[in-house]
Amino acid sequence: MPELDDELMERYQKGDENAFTLLVRRHQQPLVNFIARFINDKDSAEDLAQETFIRIFKAANRYKSENAHFKTWMYHIASNLCKNELRNRGRRDRYRVDNVVNSGSDSDGDAEQIDLIASAPANPELQPEIALERKELRNAIQKAIAELPEQYRLPLVLRDLQGLSYDEISEVLELRSGTTKSRINRARLMLKEKLKPFI
Amino acid sequence: MNCLQAEEHFSAHFEDTLDYQTLQGFEGHLAACEACQREYVRFQESVKAVQQLPQIEPSPYFMSTLQQRLATEERDPSSLKAIAATGWKQLLNGLRRPKWALGGIMALILAAAGTYFYQEGPLFNQDLHQVSVSSTSQKQQIVPLPEAFPSAQQSRRLVGDDSQLQRRSILSTPAQPMQQRYMLKQVSYTNASTSGGL
Ligand SMILES: [Zn+2]
Repeated sequence: MPELDDELMERYQKGDENAFTLLVRRHQQPLVNFIARFINDKDSAEDLAQETFIRIFKAANRYKSENAHFKTWMYHIASNLCKNELRNRGRRDRYRVDNVVNSGSDSDGDAEQIDLIASAPANPELQPEIALERKELRNAIQKAIAELPEQYRLPLVLRDLQGLSYDEISEVLELRSGTTKSRINRARLMLKEKLKPFI
Repeated sequence: MNCLQAEEHFSAHFEDTLDYQTLQGFEGHLAACEACQREYVRFQESVKAVQQLPQIEPSPYFMSTLQQRLATEERDPSSLKAIAATGWKQLLNGLRRPKWALGGIMALILAAAGTYFYQEGPLFNQDLHQVSVSSTSQKQQIVPLPEAFPSAQQSRRLVGDDSQLQRRSILSTPAQPMQQRYMLKQVSYTNASTSGGL
């Protein structure tokens, strides 16, 4: 819904303080999900998402909706922050799957629980094997995504987890549309191979 | 069409964006090639499995923490320097691509402005409220959240593409009105962040 976002930015530029709050509310969940899935680290995702909003806040008065839509601008900033973060921490932490998907049993398992309820055919507590299988599959998928080279992982997450259009992804990553399409297809083919034992 | 060429069209066929001629070629190949049929089924299954990954939710404190960070960074020049440092590469990129230059440039300008303001005393009310969560159930938490962000006009004055004169005039104004402006309102917030993504 880029129109509303752009309107909110305009309102914020004119001094409507609630408009920025509303923008954060609209985008905080997708942004945290995107970052957590992309860098494979739930703990740092929130911090980086906030950093993204801080940058947006600071650059708000220069924002022009005719140059870029809010959503693609936000993902562009977030992507760069994530790339910097990954570069800084190096390869050693790339495979911290646990933070993202293994933590569903205790305090921070909202999404996990919602998913189990939504996807299991009946009460998941009565079907522990199915719940376990699904959890294993999700762990495997997240691990497989984390193992993709960055240039394939990023467009794949934007497409298949964030639901951005190819045009939007091209704008976020400043890629030609053909490159975006072929990278996403390549990423999916790589995932298919990595998930061979499971699917 | 051979197997490698067919593979290149998996996504487009899955998303139903192939043109008629390519569609004919693709489906013609699959009809004759069991290996590609198998791989395409697995391709679809794995894409769907990825798309069904659960959404990861931010903590209920996301907004209040963000608000506090914004206030802190306006006050603390060292954290602004940190932002400027991480934003440096982006700025350089931005200079090559003007469209995205905003973030880096603003971070640097803000770092300078922030250092300047810091010497003059805090701009924001330090007494940001502590968020307490009264959790009735997991699905329906009512979480008090700060409502007001500094306005864009305010941030424009803070980051200052304006003249030194204007900054002076702001700084010579007592901090009180500004603090009043940033008094945080408490609003009720009902777990509204479940949308987004697929
Ligand atoms: Zn074939």
